Amino acid sequence: MKDCTTYAPMLGAREGELAAGERTGLAGHLEACAACRARLADERALEGLLGEALLRAAARRDFGDFADGVMARVGATQPSGLRALLAFFRQHRVIAAASALAPTLAALALIVYFQTRGTTSGPLAGDFEVTSEEHSPMVLDTSDGPLILLGDSDEPEGT
Amino acid sequence: MTGRLAKAAVLTAAVLSALPAEAAPGVPVRVRVIRGSRQGPPALDPQLQDLQAQLGHTAYLRWEQVGEHRADMDFNKPLDVPLPSGDRLQILILESRKETVTFEVRVPAQKTQSKLTISKDKRIVHQVTPEKDGSAYFVTIRPWP
Repeated sequence: MKDCTTYAPMLGAREGELAAGERTGLAGHLEACAACRARLADERALEGLLGEALLRAAARRDFGDFADGVMARVGATQPSGLRALLAFFRQHRVIAAASALAPTLAALALIVYFQTRGTTSGPLAGDFEVTSEEHSPMVLDTSDGPLILLGDSDEPEGT
Repeated sequence: MTGRLAKAAVLTAAVLSALPAEAAPGVPVRVRVIRGSRQGPPALDPQLQDLQAQLGHTAYLRWEQVGEHRADMDFNKPLDVPLPSGDRLQILILESRKETVTFEVRVPAQKTQSKLTISKDKRIVHQVTPEKDGSAYFVTIRPWP
């Protein structure tokens, strides 16, 4: 009886579920225990009956239009065209806002780029250009700004 | 909601792109006519204290202010400044940007023309007459004084 309480739960075990020692022990017990042999026979019979019953129930059911029915229901719940797009944006407001702002940000980036490029292409502080037909001017760039001296006259005095 | 956002975005882009690249208001300018002299002991007119460092780079020892003009200058509209020598000086603003301004200084009597770009906090000191008897005239130009 003690062996029965040990091996009876193993009767319904699947293939490979039991360890080698358990399998050997169970086989030895079944040879010696008629009650457990009868219980095993009952379980196998019940398993076969259940399998057959399920197969019969499935065979009675006609799945021919199953796929068409599913597709029809999916199609009925999905709007098409512009409505589908609007429905998508209604459900994803953040994406909608980002999509609307993207062209604005791109335009702003272009404006900043062209304004910056325009600034750097202009004259810079410290650009000095001095020309004289009568003198040899000198430019001193001091920390307070440029100092322009006319220098010596190119023409001799009295002319 | 999407429609409103799209309209707002287009409107914003249109307004921003319509803004002028740079505003072009008049530029306030202070022009001083000064005389430097090699003769006599070193002296600096108290009105010229702010120019001390710049004037120290010249060989002239005595400095005095002989005239001053203030004007709101428009672009490409010359400012005529009479000089004690009888000559005239022409100052023109060619360009003004966020941090810099470009002046053109013409001294027709000396056939001299300068194009100078300075920062807003700087000033120009420009000799406008040749040295005569140890003295010469200069102008100093300061934007946004």
